[in-house]
Amino acid sequence: MDSRFHQELEQLRVTILKMANLTEKAVENAFRALWERDVQLADAIIARDHEIDQLEMEIDRIILRLLALDQPMARDLRFLVGCMRISSDLERIADQAVSIAHRARYLSTRPALPKDPALRDLTETSLDMLHVTLSCFANLNVDQAMDVCLMDDAVDELNLLTLKNLMDYMIHEAPAIERGVQAIITARCMERVADHCTNIAESVVFIVRGVNIKHHCEPFQ
Amino acid sequence: MEKFRVESLNFFYGRVAALKDISLSVQERQITALIGPSGCGKSTFLRCLNRMNDTIRGTRVQGKIFLDGQDIYKSGINVVELRQRVGMVFQRPNPFPQSIWDNVAFGPRVLGLDKHFHLPEIIENSLRGAALWEEVKDRLKQDALSLSLGQQQRLCIARTIAVRPEIILMDEPCSALDPIATLQIEELMQSLKKDYTLVIVTHNMQQAARVSDWTGFFWMGELVEFDVTEKIFTRPAQQLTEDYITGRAG
Repeated sequence: MDSRFHQELEQLRVTILKMANLTEKAVENAFRALWERDVQLADAIIARDHEIDQLEMEIDRIILRLLALDQPMARDLRFLVGCMRISSDLERIADQAVSIAHRARYLSTRPALPKDPALRDLTETSLDMLHVTLSCFANLNVDQAMDVCLMDDAVDELNLLTLKNLMDYMIHEAPAIERGVQAIITARCMERVADHCTNIAESVVFIVRGVNIKHHCEPFQ
Repeated sequence: MEKFRVESLNFFYGRVAALKDISLSVQERQITALIGPSGCGKSTFLRCLNRMNDTIRGTRVQGKIFLDGQDIYKSGINVVELRQRVGMVFQRPNPFPQSIWDNVAFGPRVLGLDKHFHLPEIIENSLRGAALWEEVKDRLKQDALSLSLGQQQRLCIARTIAVRPEIILMDEPCSALDPIATLQIEELMQSLKKDYTLVIVTHNMQQAARVSDWTGFFWMGELVEFDVTEKIFTRPAQQLTEDYITGRAG
């Protein structure tokens, strides 16, 4: 039979999965609001962000209590420390979704920028990365975590390519500068989503293997 | 530097094997903690280190324990001298029903140290070493049993160090103490480490994690894992260790 402590750990896992689910939805909707020029959807993302903030605070409370009262060791300790980092990353991903929603609101009311395949690829790759990241946490799957870490380079390259394309466009179309800057910020937000996904994947590796791969994401034994 | 080296140690109570093929090293001036569930053999192992088990009828030892390279189970070893070098502190404080002074003086008198050294100096240094001097210096002739349990345990530590041991074995030294007295003993262990090698048996895993440099996990008479304490409590190599310290086994 599971102890009360282990039941509470499971409850914590469920709460983080709930937060992850809301965050994933916020990012998906932010991307949709951007590409479909949907102001209402963008407003809804901004309005619901507090739910994710509340969950982060609840998760902090649960973790602090379990650390203080149960003094966990080994895998349980790593799980709690990992969850603390992961909920912080999820909250920041949700903040990026809000930021993208603000850009989507602005861009929806202005003439459309030319379609940029790099920005489209960046959107899809960062969203894919988020899906894999949340799956790797849900299953504590180290192989998927390593995949996420390796995907980050592609996102960085797409971000740079988007930046270059938009700058080239702005050089020739001065009136588009403001929209271009907003699009650059959007691309940057997507890249930040990917960075936080990498952090989450690193936390999953830490939970499962007890190894810290921060800043040197390489395959390991 | 290695103080004890234990090689393939087996210990039997009659036909029952209480320790099976134990090998490990105890490092000098470090604290080694032994953890594991009741009956796993950790106290039996501790008592092997100064041959306290010799006093139990029907027991048998196989394997070797080297102290500074010398096998302590070799024939001809002076066990009294061994126990002077390897002192022991027990679970419940067990001062003699005598004065504080006489408790600390007992060992030096028996061993004749008082003939070579100035006894008041031994008493003061031992009580200082056990972080008790300031509390009792004005009442050394008072009955030791009038002290609180925490003070009694520190008195027992003072009594142990009065005979100038090299190693102190502690068998659950805080299990009868309240949290404040426990904290005092744990702090005392850290200061004792400067001069002595400590081996402690504890049921309290947080205590092992807090005070020790090395930890050995015993399970059913076997040493499952022995490593630096930080590794044992953050990422143990063995699944059984992880299950035990996270409360999933035992």
